Amino acid sequence: MKTIIIDDERLARKELNTLLEQHSEVEIIGEAVNADEAIEKISELRPDLVFLDIQMPGKSGFELLEELEYVPQIIFTTAYDEFALKAFEVNALDYLLKPVQEERLAESIEKAKATLQKQQNHQGAEEEGNGTLKVTDQVFVKDGDKCWFVRLEDVRLFESDGNYIKVYFNNFKPMIHKSLNALDERLDDRSFFRASRKHIINLSWVDTIETWFNGGLLVQLKGGEKVEVSRRQAARFKERMSL
Amino acid sequence: MNKNKLYWICQVLGWSIFGVVQLILFAVAGNVTSLFIFSQLIQVIFYILLTHMFRGIILHLGWLKSKWYSLLPRFLAGSLLLAIVHYLFIILSSWVTGDFDANQDFNLLSIVASLFVSMALFLIWSLLYMSFHYFDRYNKSLQFEAAAKEAELNALKAQLNPHFIFNALNSIRALVDENPTKSKNSITRLSNIFRNSLSTQKKELVPFEEELNLVRDYLELEGIRYEERLKTSYSIDSGSFNFKIPPLMIQTLVENGIKHGISTLKTGGQINITTKVEEKGLKIQIRNSGTYLKGTSGGVGYGLLNTTKRLDIIYGEKASFSIENLDEMVQTNIFIPDSLDL
Repeated sequence: MKTIIIDDERLARKELNTLLEQHSEVEIIGEAVNADEAIEKISELRPDLVFLDIQMPGKSGFELLEELEYVPQIIFTTAYDEFALKAFEVNALDYLLKPVQEERLAESIEKAKATLQKQQNHQGAEEEGNGTLKVTDQVFVKDGDKCWFVRLEDVRLFESDGNYIKVYFNNFKPMIHKSLNALDERLDDRSFFRASRKHIINLSWVDTIETWFNGGLLVQLKGGEKVEVSRRQAARFKERMSL
Repeated sequence: MNKNKLYWICQVLGWSIFGVVQLILFAVAGNVTSLFIFSQLIQVIFYILLTHMFRGIILHLGWLKSKWYSLLPRFLAGSLLLAIVHYLFIILSSWVTGDFDANQDFNLLSIVASLFVSMALFLIWSLLYMSFHYFDRYNKSLQFEAAAKEAELNALKAQLNPHFIFNALNSIRALVDENPTKSKNSITRLSNIFRNSLSTQKKELVPFEEELNLVRDYLELEGIRYEERLKTSYSIDSGSFNFKIPPLMIQTLVENGIKHGISTLKTGGQINITTKVEEKGLKIQIRNSGTYLKGTSGGVGYGLLNTTKRLDIIYGEKASFSIENLDEMVQTNIFIPDSLDL
Protein backbone atom coordinates (compact mmCIF):
# COMPACT_ATOMS: atom_id res chain seq x y z
CA MET A 1 0.00 0.00 0.00
CA LYS A 2 1.41 3.31 -1.07
CA THR A 3 1.16 5.56 1.95
CA ILE A 4 1.62 9.23 2.78
CA ILE A 5 2.01 10.62 6.29
CA ILE A 6 0.67 14.11 6.96
CA ASP A 7 1.54 15.79 10.24
CA ASP A 8 3.03 19.17 11.03
CA GLU A 9 5.25 17.75 13.78
CA ARG A 10 8.47 16.09 12.75
CA LEU A 11 8.59 13.83 15.80
CA ALA A 12 5.01 12.71 15.26
CA ARG A 13 5.87 11.73 11.66
CA LYS A 14 9.00 10.01 12.83
CA GLU A 15 7.10 8.06 15.44
CA LEU A 16 4.58 6.86 12.89
CA ASN A 17 7.40 5.95 10.50
CA THR A 18 9.02 3.87 13.21
CA LEU A 19 5.76 2.13 14.04
CA LEU A 20 5.08 1.39 10.38
CA GLU A 21 8.45 -0.31 9.94
CA GLN A 22 6.76 -3.40 11.40
CA HIS A 23 4.33 -3.47 8.51
CA SER A 24 6.12 -4.46 5.36
CA GLU A 25 2.98 -4.07 3.24
CA VAL A 26 2.96 -0.35 3.97
CA GLU A 27 5.24 1.58 1.69
CA ILE A 28 5.75 5.19 2.69
CA ILE A 29 6.06 7.20 -0.48
CA GLY A 30 5.89 10.66 0.98
CA GLU A 31 5.33 12.99 3.88
CA ALA A 32 3.73 16.40 4.14
CA VAL A 33 3.86 19.02 6.87
CA ASN A 34 0.76 20.99 6.00
CA ALA A 35 -2.47 20.78 4.05
CA ASP A 36 -1.28 22.58 0.94
CA GLU A 37 1.76 20.36 0.60
CA ALA A 38 -0.45 17.34 1.26
CA ILE A 39 -2.93 18.23 -1.48
CA GLU A 40 -0.07 18.47 -3.94
CA LYS A 41 1.47 15.17 -2.89
CA ILE A 42 -1.81 13.27 -2.86
CA SER A 43 -2.80 14.34 -6.36
CA GLU A 44 0.69 13.73 -7.63
CA LEU A 45 1.52 10.41 -5.95
CA ARG A 46 -2.03 9.04 -5.69
CA PRO A 47 -1.41 7.02 -2.53
CA ASP A 48 -3.69 4.20 -1.40
CA LEU A 49 -3.57 5.25 2.19
CA VAL A 50 -3.02 8.50 4.06
CA PHE A 51 -2.32 9.04 7.75
CA LEU A 52 -3.79 12.46 8.40
CA ASP A 53 -3.37 14.72 11.41
CA ILE A 54 -6.49 16.76 12.06
CA GLN A 55 -4.98 19.87 13.64
CA MET A 56 -2.46 21.57 11.43
CA PRO A 57 -1.47 25.18 10.84
CA GLY A 58 -3.29 26.87 7.98
CA LYS A 59 -5.85 24.27 7.00
CA SER A 60 -7.17 21.46 9.14
CA GLY A 61 -7.29 17.85 7.98
CA PHE A 62 -10.97 18.24 7.17
CA GLU A 63 -10.46 21.30 5.05
CA LEU A 64 -7.77 19.41 3.20
CA LEU A 65 -10.15 16.56 2.43
CA GLU A 66 -12.76 18.94 1.11
CA GLU A 67 -10.31 20.18 -1.48
CA LEU A 68 -9.27 16.77 -2.71
CA GLU A 69 -10.56 15.39 -5.99
CA TYR A 70 -9.20 11.96 -5.33
CA VAL A 71 -9.71 10.76 -1.77
CA PRO A 72 -7.62 7.76 -0.76
CA GLN A 73 -8.19 5.66 2.33
CA ILE A 74 -7.81 7.94 5.32
CA ILE A 75 -6.68 7.10 8.81
CA PHE A 76 -6.90 10.13 11.04
CA THR A 77 -4.30 10.62 13.70
CA THR A 78 -5.01 12.94 16.57
CA ALA A 79 -3.94 13.56 20.13
CA TYR A 80 -7.38 14.39 21.43
CA ASP A 81 -10.17 15.42 19.17
CA GLU A 82 -13.35 13.97 20.48
CA PHE A 83 -15.15 16.94 19.12
CA ALA A 84 -13.80 16.69 15.59
CA LEU A 85 -14.29 12.95 15.41
CA LYS A 86 -17.91 13.21 16.48
CA ALA A 87 -18.63 14.55 13.03
CA PHE A 88 -18.28 11.01 11.77
CA GLU A 89 -20.84 9.03 13.68
CA VAL A 90 -22.47 7.62 10.61
CA ASN A 91 -19.84 6.02 8.50
CA ALA A 92 -16.97 3.76 9.19
CA LEU A 93 -14.14 6.08 9.91
CA ASP A 94 -10.79 5.07 11.18
CA TYR A 95 -8.67 7.07 13.52
CA LEU A 96 -5.68 6.55 15.77
CA LEU A 97 -5.01 8.37 18.99
CA LYS A 98 -1.50 9.63 19.60
CA PRO A 99 0.61 8.16 21.14
CA VAL A 100 -0.37 5.32 18.85
CA GLN A 101 -1.00 1.86 20.21
CA GLU A 102 0.68 -0.79 18.06
CA GLU A 103 -2.27 -3.20 18.07
CA ARG A 104 -4.65 -0.46 17.04
CA LEU A 105 -2.35 0.51 14.20
CA ALA A 106 -2.20 -3.11 13.01
CA GLU A 107 -6.01 -3.26 13.05
CA SER A 108 -6.33 -0.08 11.07
CA ILE A 109 -3.88 -1.27 8.47
CA GLU A 110 -5.73 -4.57 8.14
CA LYS A 111 -8.96 -2.73 7.65
CA ALA A 112 -7.49 -0.42 5.04
CA LYS A 113 -5.97 -3.39 3.24
CA ALA A 114 -9.29 -5.21 3.14
CA THR A 115 -11.11 -2.17 1.77
CA LEU A 116 -8.46 -1.67 -0.84
CA GLN A 117 -8.65 -5.33 -1.83
CA LYS A 118 -12.38 -5.14 -2.27
CA GLN A 119 -12.00 -2.05 -4.36
CA GLN A 120 -9.48 -3.69 -6.64
CA ASN A 121 -11.55 -6.86 -7.04
CA HIS A 122 -14.54 -4.84 -7.91
CA GLN A 123 -12.70 -3.02 -10.60
CA GLY A 124 -11.40 -6.33 -11.88
CA ALA A 125 -10.04 -6.03 -15.35
CA GLU A 126 -11.24 -2.46 -15.82
CA GLU A 127 -8.47 -0.35 -17.14
CA GLU A 128 -7.20 2.46 -14.96
CA GLY A 129 -9.15 5.58 -15.72
CA ASN A 130 -7.16 8.54 -16.87
CA GLY A 131 -8.08 10.92 -14.11
CA THR A 132 -11.71 9.81 -14.07
CA LEU A 133 -13.20 8.72 -10.78
CA LYS A 134 -14.14 5.06 -10.51
CA VAL A 135 -17.39 4.02 -8.89
CA THR A 136 -15.43 2.52 -6.02
CA ASP A 137 -13.66 5.78 -5.38
CA GLN A 138 -14.84 7.81 -2.46
CA VAL A 139 -15.54 11.46 -2.06
CA PHE A 140 -15.35 13.43 1.15
CA VAL A 141 -18.49 15.34 1.93
CA LYS A 142 -18.82 17.87 4.70
CA ASP A 143 -22.05 19.65 5.43
CA GLY A 144 -22.06 21.90 8.47
CA ASP A 145 -20.49 19.85 11.22
CA LYS A 146 -21.27 16.47 9.67
CA CYS A 147 -18.81 14.52 7.53
CA TRP A 148 -19.03 11.50 5.27
CA PHE A 149 -16.81 9.43 3.04
CA VAL A 150 -19.13 8.38 0.25
CA ARG A 151 -18.42 5.77 -2.41
CA LEU A 152 -19.57 7.01 -5.78
CA GLU A 153 -21.53 3.79 -6.32
CA ASP A 154 -23.70 4.80 -3.35
CA VAL A 155 -24.54 8.16 -4.80
CA ARG A 156 -27.89 8.15 -6.61
CA LEU A 157 -28.00 11.70 -7.77
CA PHE A 158 -26.03 14.93 -7.99
CA GLU A 159 -28.22 17.98 -8.19
CA SER A 160 -26.84 21.43 -8.77
CA ASP A 161 -28.13 24.20 -6.55
CA GLY A 162 -26.49 27.54 -7.15
CA ASN A 163 -22.78 27.17 -6.51
CA TYR A 164 -23.35 23.93 -4.66
CA ILE A 165 -24.12 20.35 -5.51
CA LYS A 166 -26.55 18.30 -3.47
CA VAL A 167 -25.26 14.75 -3.12
CA TYR A 168 -28.01 12.16 -2.63
CA PHE A 169 -26.97 8.96 -0.84
CA ASN A 170 -28.57 6.77 1.82
CA ASN A 171 -30.88 9.11 3.69
CA PHE A 172 -28.69 12.14 3.27
CA LYS A 173 -28.35 14.93 0.78
CA PRO A 174 -25.55 17.18 1.98
CA MET A 175 -24.17 20.01 -0.16
CA ILE A 176 -20.66 20.34 -1.48
CA HIS A 177 -19.12 23.42 -2.94
CA LYS A 178 -18.30 22.32 -6.49
CA SER A 179 -19.62 22.90 -9.98
CA LEU A 180 -21.69 20.23 -11.67
CA ASN A 181 -19.88 20.67 -15.00
CA ALA A 182 -16.47 20.07 -13.43
CA LEU A 183 -17.79 17.03 -11.63
CA ASP A 184 -19.40 15.68 -14.81
CA GLU A 185 -16.04 15.67 -16.52
CA ARG A 186 -14.45 13.64 -13.76
CA LEU A 187 -17.20 11.06 -13.41
CA ASP A 188 -17.13 7.78 -15.31
CA ASP A 189 -19.82 8.10 -17.96
CA ARG A 190 -20.44 4.39 -17.99
CA SER A 191 -22.02 4.77 -14.56
CA PHE A 192 -23.19 8.35 -14.45
CA PHE A 193 -25.44 10.17 -16.86
CA ARG A 194 -25.99 13.88 -17.27
CA ALA A 195 -29.76 13.91 -17.33
CA SER A 196 -30.15 17.66 -17.61
CA ARG A 197 -28.47 20.94 -16.90
CA LYS A 198 -29.17 20.42 -13.22
CA HIS A 199 -28.84 16.67 -12.70
CA ILE A 200 -26.37 13.82 -12.93
CA ILE A 201 -27.85 10.40 -12.14
CA ASN A 202 -26.26 7.11 -11.25
CA LEU A 203 -27.53 4.62 -13.85
CA SER A 204 -27.40 1.66 -11.52
CA TRP A 205 -29.92 3.38 -9.25
CA VAL A 206 -32.56 3.89 -11.98
CA ASP A 207 -35.85 2.28 -11.03
CA THR A 208 -38.52 3.24 -13.57
CA ILE A 209 -38.64 5.33 -16.74
CA GLU A 210 -41.72 7.06 -18.11
CA THR A 211 -42.20 9.21 -21.17
CA TRP A 212 -42.70 12.82 -20.34
CA PHE A 213 -43.73 16.00 -22.10
CA ASN A 214 -41.95 17.28 -25.18
CA GLY A 215 -40.25 14.00 -25.79
CA GLY A 216 -38.45 14.03 -22.48
CA LEU A 217 -38.35 11.26 -19.93
CA LEU A 218 -39.11 11.02 -16.23
CA VAL A 219 -36.75 8.75 -14.38
CA GLN A 220 -37.51 7.53 -10.92
CA LEU A 221 -34.54 6.44 -8.84
CA LYS A 222 -34.58 3.63 -6.30
CA GLY A 223 -34.38 6.25 -3.57
CA GLY A 224 -37.67 7.76 -4.77
CA GLU A 225 -36.25 10.87 -6.43
CA LYS A 226 -37.81 11.83 -9.74
CA VAL A 227 -35.57 13.38 -12.34
CA GLU A 228 -36.54 14.78 -15.69
CA VAL A 229 -34.32 13.86 -18.62
CA SER A 230 -34.33 16.63 -21.17
CA ARG A 231 -35.42 15.93 -24.72
CA ARG A 232 -31.93 16.51 -25.97
CA GLN A 233 -30.53 13.83 -23.64
CA ALA A 234 -33.46 11.40 -23.90
CA ALA A 235 -32.21 9.67 -27.02
CA ARG A 236 -28.78 9.18 -25.55
CA PHE A 237 -30.30 7.95 -22.34
CA LYS A 238 -32.42 5.31 -24.09
CA GLU A 239 -29.40 4.17 -25.97
CA ARG A 240 -27.40 3.84 -22.76
CA MET A 241 -30.11 1.99 -20.89
CA SER A 242 -30.75 -0.52 -23.66
CA LEU A 243 -27.14 -1.60 -23.64
CA MET B 1 -22.66 53.43 43.19
CA ASN B 2 -25.46 50.92 43.37
CA LYS B 3 -24.65 50.21 46.99
CA ASN B 4 -24.85 53.88 47.84
CA LYS B 5 -28.27 54.08 46.26
CA LEU B 6 -29.41 51.07 48.23
CA TYR B 7 -28.12 52.69 51.42
CA TRP B 8 -30.15 55.83 50.81
CA ILE B 9 -33.27 53.89 49.95
CA CYS B 10 -32.98 51.87 53.17
CA GLN B 11 -32.16 54.97 55.17
CA VAL B 12 -35.08 57.09 53.96
CA LEU B 13 -37.57 54.24 53.82
CA GLY B 14 -36.59 52.86 57.22
CA TRP B 15 -36.89 56.12 59.08
CA SER B 16 -40.06 57.11 57.23
CA ILE B 17 -41.70 53.86 58.28
CA PHE B 18 -40.58 54.59 61.80
CA GLY B 19 -42.16 58.05 61.59
CA VAL B 20 -45.41 56.70 60.16
CA VAL B 21 -45.65 54.05 62.86
CA GLN B 22 -45.18 56.78 65.49
CA LEU B 23 -47.97 58.78 63.87
CA ILE B 24 -50.31 55.83 63.82
CA LEU B 25 -49.63 55.04 67.47
CA PHE B 26 -50.35 58.63 68.43
CA ALA B 27 -53.39 58.70 66.17
CA VAL B 28 -54.82 55.71 68.05
CA ALA B 29 -54.22 57.61 71.26
CA GLY B 30 -56.16 60.41 69.55
CA ASN B 31 -53.92 63.42 69.93
CA VAL B 32 -52.51 64.09 66.50
CA THR B 33 -52.18 67.73 65.57
CA SER B 34 -50.71 69.20 62.41
CA LEU B 35 -47.91 70.53 64.52
CA PHE B 36 -47.20 66.98 65.70
CA ILE B 37 -47.08 65.69 62.12
CA PHE B 38 -44.72 68.49 61.22
CA SER B 39 -42.45 67.78 64.17
CA GLN B 40 -42.44 64.08 63.26
CA LEU B 41 -41.35 65.00 59.76
CA ILE B 42 -38.56 67.14 61.13
CA GLN B 43 -37.62 64.33 63.46
CA VAL B 44 -37.43 61.77 60.63
CA ILE B 45 -35.17 64.09 58.67
CA PHE B 46 -33.10 64.63 61.77
CA TYR B 47 -32.77 60.86 62.31
CA ILE B 48 -31.68 60.36 58.74
CA LEU B 49 -29.06 63.07 58.95
CA LEU B 50 -27.82 61.98 62.36
CA THR B 51 -27.38 58.35 61.42
CA HIS B 52 -25.86 59.38 58.15
CA MET B 53 -23.26 61.36 60.09
CA PHE B 54 -22.73 58.34 62.30
CA ARG B 55 -22.12 56.24 59.20
CA GLY B 56 -19.54 58.79 58.10
CA ILE B 57 -17.78 58.37 61.44
CA ILE B 58 -17.95 54.55 61.21
CA LEU B 59 -16.41 54.59 57.76
CA HIS B 60 -13.85 57.21 58.71
CA LEU B 61 -12.64 55.32 61.76
CA GLY B 62 -12.58 52.06 59.80
CA TRP B 63 -14.85 50.24 62.24
CA LEU B 64 -15.99 47.92 59.47
CA LYS B 65 -12.67 46.15 59.52
CA SER B 66 -12.81 45.37 63.24
CA LYS B 67 -14.16 42.29 64.90
CA TRP B 68 -17.73 42.42 66.22
CA TYR B 69 -16.80 42.07 69.91
CA SER B 70 -14.49 45.07 69.81
CA LEU B 71 -17.25 46.99 68.06
CA LEU B 72 -19.91 46.31 70.69
CA PRO B 73 -18.66 48.89 73.29
CA ARG B 74 -17.98 51.39 70.53
CA PHE B 75 -21.49 51.11 69.22
CA LEU B 76 -22.92 51.35 72.73
CA ALA B 77 -20.95 54.52 73.33
CA GLY B 78 -21.78 55.87 69.90
CA SER B 79 -25.49 55.23 70.36
CA LEU B 80 -25.44 56.92 73.76
CA LEU B 81 -23.80 59.94 72.22
CA LEU B 82 -26.36 60.01 69.43
CA ALA B 83 -29.15 59.67 71.97
CA ILE B 84 -27.82 62.69 73.89
CA VAL B 85 -27.58 64.73 70.73
CA HIS B 86 -31.09 63.65 69.87
CA TYR B 87 -32.39 64.64 73.30
CA LEU B 88 -30.79 68.06 73.04
CA PHE B 89 -32.40 68.46 69.67
CA ILE B 90 -35.80 67.59 71.08
CA ILE B 91 -35.42 70.11 73.87
CA LEU B 92 -34.27 72.69 71.39
CA SER B 93 -37.15 72.04 69.06
CA SER B 94 -39.73 72.02 71.84
CA TRP B 95 -38.28 75.30 73.01
CA VAL B 96 -38.64 76.68 69.51
CA THR B 97 -42.24 75.50 69.23
CA GLY B 98 -42.98 76.85 72.69
CA ASP B 99 -43.72 73.38 74.01
CA PHE B 100 -40.85 73.53 76.42
CA ASP B 101 -41.66 72.51 79.95
CA ALA B 102 -38.61 72.67 82.26
CA ASN B 103 -40.23 70.53 84.90
CA GLN B 104 -41.02 67.73 82.59
CA ASP B 105 -38.08 67.89 80.27
CA PHE B 106 -35.43 68.11 82.93
CA ASN B 107 -36.94 65.38 85.01
CA LEU B 108 -34.26 62.71 85.51
CA LEU B 109 -36.60 59.84 84.90
CA SER B 110 -37.86 61.28 81.65
CA ILE B 111 -34.30 62.03 80.55
CA VAL B 112 -33.19 58.47 81.23
CA ALA B 113 -36.27 56.99 79.59
CA SER B 114 -35.91 59.15 76.54
CA LEU B 115 -32.20 58.44 76.25
CA PHE B 116 -32.82 54.74 76.65
CA VAL B 117 -35.45 54.63 73.93
CA SER B 118 -33.45 56.58 71.37
CA MET B 119 -30.28 54.68 72.26
CA ALA B 120 -32.12 51.44 71.53
CA LEU B 121 -33.26 52.97 68.29
CA PHE B 122 -29.71 53.84 67.28
CA LEU B 123 -28.46 50.42 68.32
CA ILE B 124 -31.04 48.80 66.09
CA TRP B 125 -29.90 51.06 63.28
CA SER B 126 -26.27 50.04 63.93
CA LEU B 127 -27.22 46.40 63.98
CA LEU B 128 -29.01 46.70 60.65
CA TYR B 129 -26.20 48.69 59.14
CA MET B 130 -23.52 46.27 60.28
CA SER B 131 -25.44 43.18 59.29
CA PHE B 132 -25.95 44.62 55.87
CA HIS B 133 -22.25 45.25 55.71
CA TYR B 134 -21.36 41.76 56.93
CA PHE B 135 -23.80 40.21 54.53
CA ASP B 136 -22.27 42.18 51.70
CA ARG B 137 -18.77 41.15 52.72
CA TYR B 138 -19.83 37.52 52.98
CA ASN B 139 -21.45 37.77 49.59
CA LYS B 140 -18.27 39.24 48.16
CA SER B 141 -16.13 36.50 49.63
CA LEU B 142 -18.51 33.95 48.16
CA GLN B 143 -18.20 35.70 44.85
CA PHE B 144 -14.46 35.63 45.15
CA GLU B 145 -14.49 31.97 46.02
CA ALA B 146 -16.70 31.16 43.06
CA ALA B 147 -14.53 33.11 40.67
CA ALA B 148 -11.36 31.64 42.12
CA LYS B 149 -12.87 28.21 41.81
CA GLU B 150 -13.77 28.89 38.24
CA ALA B 151 -10.30 30.17 37.47
CA GLU B 152 -8.86 27.17 39.18
CA LEU B 153 -10.95 24.75 37.23
CA ASN B 154 -10.25 26.58 34.06
CA ALA B 155 -6.56 26.71 34.81
CA LEU B 156 -6.61 23.07 35.69
CA LYS B 157 -8.33 22.40 32.42
CA ALA B 158 -5.77 24.48 30.59
CA GLN B 159 -3.01 22.90 32.58
CA LEU B 160 -4.18 19.42 31.89
CA ASN B 161 -5.17 20.33 28.38
CA PRO B 162 -5.44 16.86 26.91
CA HIS B 163 -4.19 18.03 23.57
CA PHE B 164 -1.01 19.31 25.12
CA ILE B 165 -0.46 16.23 27.26
CA PHE B 166 -0.99 13.63 24.56
CA ASN B 167 0.99 15.52 21.97
CA ALA B 168 3.82 15.97 24.46
CA LEU B 169 3.77 12.28 25.29
CA ASN B 170 3.75 11.40 21.62
CA SER B 171 6.78 13.59 20.96
CA ILE B 172 8.58 12.16 23.96
CA ARG B 173 7.89 8.67 22.69
CA ALA B 174 9.55 9.49 19.39
CA LEU B 175 12.37 11.17 21.24
CA VAL B 176 13.21 8.05 23.25
CA ASP B 177 15.14 6.58 20.33
CA GLU B 178 16.44 9.80 18.92
CA ASN B 179 17.65 11.55 22.04
CA PRO B 180 17.32 9.56 25.27
CA THR B 181 18.70 12.36 27.48
CA LYS B 182 16.27 14.89 26.09
CA SER B 183 13.39 12.50 26.43
CA LYS B 184 14.26 11.84 30.08
CA ASN B 185 14.41 15.56 30.64
CA SER B 186 11.02 16.01 29.06
CA ILE B 187 9.47 13.40 31.29
CA THR B 188 10.76 15.31 34.31
CA ARG B 189 9.34 18.53 32.97
CA LEU B 190 6.00 16.94 32.34
CA SER B 191 5.91 15.61 35.90
CA ASN B 192 6.81 19.09 37.17
CA ILE B 193 3.79 20.42 35.38
CA PHE B 194 1.55 17.70 36.75
CA ARG B 195 2.82 18.27 40.28
CA ASN B 196 2.35 21.98 39.94
CA SER B 197 -1.19 21.59 38.73
CA LEU B 198 -1.96 19.54 41.82
CA SER B 199 -0.37 21.85 44.36
CA THR B 200 -1.10 25.38 43.17
CA GLN B 201 -4.77 24.85 42.69
CA LYS B 202 -5.82 26.22 46.02
CA LYS B 203 -3.49 29.17 46.30
CA GLU B 204 -4.57 32.68 45.52
CA LEU B 205 -1.02 33.84 44.81
CA VAL B 206 2.28 32.09 44.16
CA PRO B 207 5.84 33.41 44.05
CA PHE B 208 6.72 34.77 40.65
CA GLU B 209 9.61 32.31 40.39
CA GLU B 210 7.31 29.33 40.74
CA GLU B 211 5.13 30.52 37.89
CA LEU B 212 8.15 31.33 35.75
CA ASN B 213 9.56 27.83 36.21
CA LEU B 214 6.25 26.35 35.24
CA VAL B 215 6.13 28.49 32.12
CA ARG B 216 9.69 27.47 31.24
CA ASP B 217 8.82 23.77 31.61
CA TYR B 218 5.71 24.26 29.56
CA LEU B 219 7.50 26.10 26.76
CA GLU B 220 10.34 23.56 26.72
CA LEU B 221 7.82 20.79 26.16
CA GLU B 222 5.99 22.70 23.47
CA GLY B 223 9.41 23.37 21.95
CA ILE B 224 9.93 19.65 21.52
CA ARG B 225 6.71 19.46 19.55
CA TYR B 226 7.12 22.56 17.46
CA GLU B 227 10.92 22.42 17.21
CA GLU B 228 12.24 25.29 15.09
CA ARG B 229 8.72 26.65 14.73
CA LEU B 230 8.70 27.87 18.33
CA LYS B 231 11.28 30.35 19.51
CA THR B 232 11.14 31.63 23.03
CA SER B 233 12.96 34.42 24.78
CA TYR B 234 12.86 35.75 28.30
CA SER B 235 13.86 39.08 29.70
CA ILE B 236 13.22 38.91 33.40
CA ASP B 237 13.87 41.79 35.77
CA SER B 238 15.57 40.30 38.84
CA GLY B 239 13.28 42.34 41.06
CA SER B 240 10.35 40.31 39.76
CA PHE B 241 11.19 37.54 42.19
CA ASN B 242 9.93 39.68 45.08
CA PHE B 243 6.43 39.55 43.65
CA LYS B 244 3.61 37.13 44.01
CA ILE B 245 1.18 36.57 41.17
CA PRO B 246 -1.97 34.55 40.59
CA PRO B 247 -0.96 30.96 39.73
CA LEU B 248 -1.08 29.84 36.11
CA MET B 249 -1.77 33.36 34.93
CA ILE B 250 1.25 33.64 32.65
CA GLN B 251 1.00 30.00 31.66
CA THR B 252 -2.59 30.39 30.50
CA LEU B 253 -1.68 33.42 28.40
CA VAL B 254 1.36 31.70 26.92
CA GLU B 255 -0.71 28.65 26.09
CA ASN B 256 -3.28 30.91 24.43
CA GLY B 257 -0.48 32.46 22.41
CA ILE B 258 0.62 29.06 21.17
CA LYS B 259 -2.85 27.75 20.52
CA HIS B 260 -4.16 30.78 18.65
CA GLY B 261 -0.85 32.13 17.37
CA ILE B 262 2.14 29.88 16.78
CA SER B 263 0.21 26.68 16.03
CA THR B 264 -1.77 28.35 13.26
CA LEU B 265 1.32 29.64 11.46
CA LYS B 266 3.01 27.33 8.98
CA THR B 267 6.44 28.68 9.76
CA GLY B 268 5.70 29.10 13.44
CA GLY B 269 6.77 32.12 15.43
CA GLN B 270 8.08 33.38 18.70
CA ILE B 271 7.02 34.04 22.24
CA ASN B 272 8.75 36.68 24.34
CA ILE B 273 8.20 37.11 28.03
CA THR B 274 9.39 40.36 29.56
CA THR B 275 9.03 41.63 33.10
CA LYS B 276 9.94 44.97 34.49
CA VAL B 277 9.69 46.27 38.04
CA GLU B 278 8.13 49.70 38.07
CA GLU B 279 7.55 52.20 40.81
CA LYS B 280 4.22 50.83 41.90
CA GLY B 281 4.40 47.23 40.82
CA LEU B 282 5.40 44.64 38.28
CA LYS B 283 4.80 44.85 34.56
CA ILE B 284 4.57 41.54 32.73
CA GLN B 285 4.52 41.51 28.97
CA ILE B 286 3.89 38.50 26.74
CA ARG B 287 4.37 38.87 23.02
CA ASN B 288 3.58 36.14 20.54
CA SER B 289 3.43 35.87 16.76
CA GLY B 290 -0.05 35.88 15.32
CA THR B 291 -3.09 38.10 15.30
CA TYR B 292 -5.53 38.66 18.07
CA LEU B 293 -9.04 38.40 16.70
CA LYS B 294 -11.34 40.03 19.14
CA GLY B 295 -14.20 37.86 20.30
CA THR B 296 -14.00 35.24 17.57
CA SER B 297 -13.73 31.70 18.89
CA GLY B 298 -15.25 31.54 22.34
CA GLY B 299 -12.07 30.13 23.84
CA VAL B 300 -10.05 33.29 23.49
CA GLY B 301 -12.58 35.47 25.15
CA TYR B 302 -13.13 33.09 27.99
CA GLY B 303 -9.49 32.68 28.96
CA LEU B 304 -8.85 36.39 28.86
CA LEU B 305 -12.06 37.23 30.66
CA ASN B 306 -11.05 34.86 33.38
CA THR B 307 -7.66 36.51 33.76
CA THR B 308 -9.13 40.00 34.01
CA LYS B 309 -11.71 38.78 36.47
CA ARG B 310 -9.09 37.21 38.70
CA LEU B 311 -6.95 40.33 38.63
CA ASP B 312 -9.95 42.46 39.46
CA ILE B 313 -10.97 40.33 42.40
CA ILE B 314 -7.49 40.17 43.88
CA TYR B 315 -6.17 43.65 43.19
CA GLY B 316 -9.19 45.77 42.31
CA GLU B 317 -8.43 48.72 40.09
CA LYS B 318 -4.73 48.69 40.88
CA ALA B 319 -4.00 45.88 38.46
CA SER B 320 -4.43 46.20 34.73
CA PHE B 321 -4.65 43.94 31.73
CA SER B 322 -4.56 44.70 28.03
CA ILE B 323 -4.17 42.82 24.77
CA GLU B 324 -3.48 44.30 21.36
CA ASN B 325 -1.97 43.64 17.95
CA LEU B 326 1.39 45.32 17.42
CA ASP B 327 3.84 44.78 14.54
CA GLU B 328 2.40 41.38 13.58
CA MET B 329 2.61 40.26 17.17
CA VAL B 330 -0.01 39.94 19.85
CA GLN B 331 1.04 41.89 22.88
CA THR B 332 -0.43 41.20 26.28
CA ASN B 333 0.37 43.51 29.18
CA ILE B 334 -0.34 42.85 32.81
CA PHE B 335 0.36 45.14 35.70
CA ILE B 336 0.53 43.64 39.19
CA PRO B 337 0.59 46.22 42.02
CA ASP B 338 3.03 46.05 44.91
CA SER B 339 1.48 43.82 47.52
CA LEU B 340 2.34 46.40 50.20
CA ASP B 341 0.23 48.85 48.30
CA LEU B 342 -2.92 46.83 48.58
